[in-house]
Amino acid sequence: MLKGIGASEGYGIGKIMIVEEHTLEYTPHAVNDVEAEVKRYRDAVAAFIEQTKEQAAALRISAGEKEAEIMEGHIQIINDPAMGTEIEKLIEAGTCAEASVEQMLDMFINIFSMTDDDLTRQRASDLKDIKNALLSILLGINEVKISDAPAGTVLVAKEVTPSMTAGINKDNIVGIITETGSQTSHSAILARAMEIPAVLSVPNALSQLSSGEQVIVDGSCGEVVTAPTEEQIADYTARRDAFLREKRELEMFRGRRTISASGEEYELCCNIGSPKDAGKAMEADGEGVGLFRTEFLFMDRTALPTEDEQFEAYKAAAVILKGKPLIIRTLDIGGDKEIPYLGLEKEENPFMGFRAIRYCLKNRDMFKSQIKAILRASAFGDVRIMFPLITAVEELREGKALVEEAKDYLRASGIAFNENIPVGVMTETAASGVIADLLAKEADFFSIGTNDLTGYTMACDRGNSDVSYLYSPFQPSVLRMIKSIIENGVRENIPVGMCGEAAANPMMIPLLMSFGLTEFSVSSVSVLKVRKNIAKWTKAEADEVAAKVMSMATEAEVVEYLSSVV
Amino acid sequence: MVSKEVTLVNAQGFHMRPASMFAAAMAKYQCDIFLKFNGANHNAKSLLNIIAACIKCGSTVEVICDGPDENEALAEAVQLIESGLGE
Repeated sequence: MLKGIGASEGYGIGKIMIVEEHTLEYTPHAVNDVEAEVKRYRDAVAAFIEQTKEQAAALRISAGEKEAEIMEGHIQIINDPAMGTEIEKLIEAGTCAEASVEQMLDMFINIFSMTDDDLTRQRASDLKDIKNALLSILLGINEVKISDAPAGTVLVAKEVTPSMTAGINKDNIVGIITETGSQTSHSAILARAMEIPAVLSVPNALSQLSSGEQVIVDGSCGEVVTAPTEEQIADYTARRDAFLREKRELEMFRGRRTISASGEEYELCCNIGSPKDAGKAMEADGEGVGLFRTEFLFMDRTALPTEDEQFEAYKAAAVILKGKPLIIRTLDIGGDKEIPYLGLEKEENPFMGFRAIRYCLKNRDMFKSQIKAILRASAFGDVRIMFPLITAVEELREGKALVEEAKDYLRASGIAFNENIPVGVMTETAASGVIADLLAKEADFFSIGTNDLTGYTMACDRGNSDVSYLYSPFQPSVLRMIKSIIENGVRENIPVGMCGEAAANPMMIPLLMSFGLTEFSVSSVSVLKVRKNIAKWTKAEADEVAAKVMSMATEAEVVEYLSSVV
Repeated sequence: MVSKEVTLVNAQGFHMRPASMFAAAMAKYQCDIFLKFNGANHNAKSLLNIIAACIKCGSTVEVICDGPDENEALAEAVQLIESGLGE
């Protein structure tokens, strides 16, 4: 068995086809006829562009628009003034076309590989792809025809390049194994886009596996089973069929409303951490965003983001959501995160310290700047403001007062915003749970942050292995908190959502449905699963389960019971 | 020669797509166009040079144009960057 990174889930059983890396070796030759050599280079570029256009078109169908654009980007790179003209200069100075291409591209590959910016480093593999393609054309080497692979083929290569993917026929390729690559590499992204199980970074895969050999690719666990027994083949075939069946079943929930088995409707949204994620939320069939974490705007930089910068990011998300709800959480940061320019001191007890709303209310200029940016974005969609870490009514009142001040300013400046923008509370502290009745009278909505709510209620650090056994949302104390928050919200007729991880937990779902939660906000990958889970329960069944659970005294009983009925 | 300082507002800075869009827009001008960042001048007509400069969101660059149509070039460059480079 070989181990690697499970980069694209699923199971594939098939025969190996090795995709060799071409030996692009050559002896640099003297250039006698410069004009002819330049022409040879230009012909190769033309052929490369032609080839790339075909590959992009094929990729558009087999993988998707974004992947096709990656390939088309190659054309822009080769046409870049820093590239083509420089290569021709080298040729005119007497270097042969192959060596000129290699020299220029290697220079950029080095520059890109050495930066600390992840996106830029990934571009280095695009350049390697281009270099290999150009050299292959100049040297007259033909690429291995992946498009000729028979049905039931498992591809084994050093990495999956965009040009390789163009030749992949999804009907025939059942698995991919590579020697390099991480979860965010080209190989992973392309394999997932094509929905082919893939295991990456298997050391020496090319030398350990031979063409024609039968293997099982487990992209979910990141394992490759070599020389599988009859039993293993039967086992993995069953797993693969179950996986594909579940995927198809989940797909049936795409485009449907989120409804219980007895007809109650819920809102099912996503938690996101950047405007780009808003796009993923829509692709995942989310009905909105229940939590837009704004910390990304403040991290990895040397100064505060300007109001304009923030506005552009919030607006971008609002526009992508096309009118669906977007709950933006104001800055939730503290001494535990590295934000040197905020001047936060290292605290003894950061989770109980100067952070989130406390920090913001004491730094009104910065806070107002964020609030104004959110207000301006509210002209472009259904934007809502949420304050984190509220523990007292005064904090909500002060925050709301600042929102009114910001509105006055924008109104006077003639800048558009939603006058009735909802302002709500992220109930994630024990305090907010206990005074939920008071907060519900002055907040436009609640969203339950179970991650921190569990920690604060159980007074335990989930990262501390000595006490992490206490950290569970199924502890009776936490369940009572959750129930009370929801009931108080419902009594005051405000929407109550949940944005913590617990919202996607199949054991928590019937309880939340019974308590009266109106919105579930989960990670994009969980949307269809949660919709399916909600559809399993009638309100009456959920109520019955909830009643039993709330009468239990220990977490162990709760978990045992829920495991048996879910 | 004319120049102006601008700040990048789009979240991912000058990555592939905005860099190639910007380079293509600048390519139509006759004048030389540079982005001065971290003390170095980067050819704004080359997407590779722009990407290699690693200009992130929030960074300030000086756009320098030198040549016959320098004023138009500077105006467009500044407008593109300030409006978020199409993102």
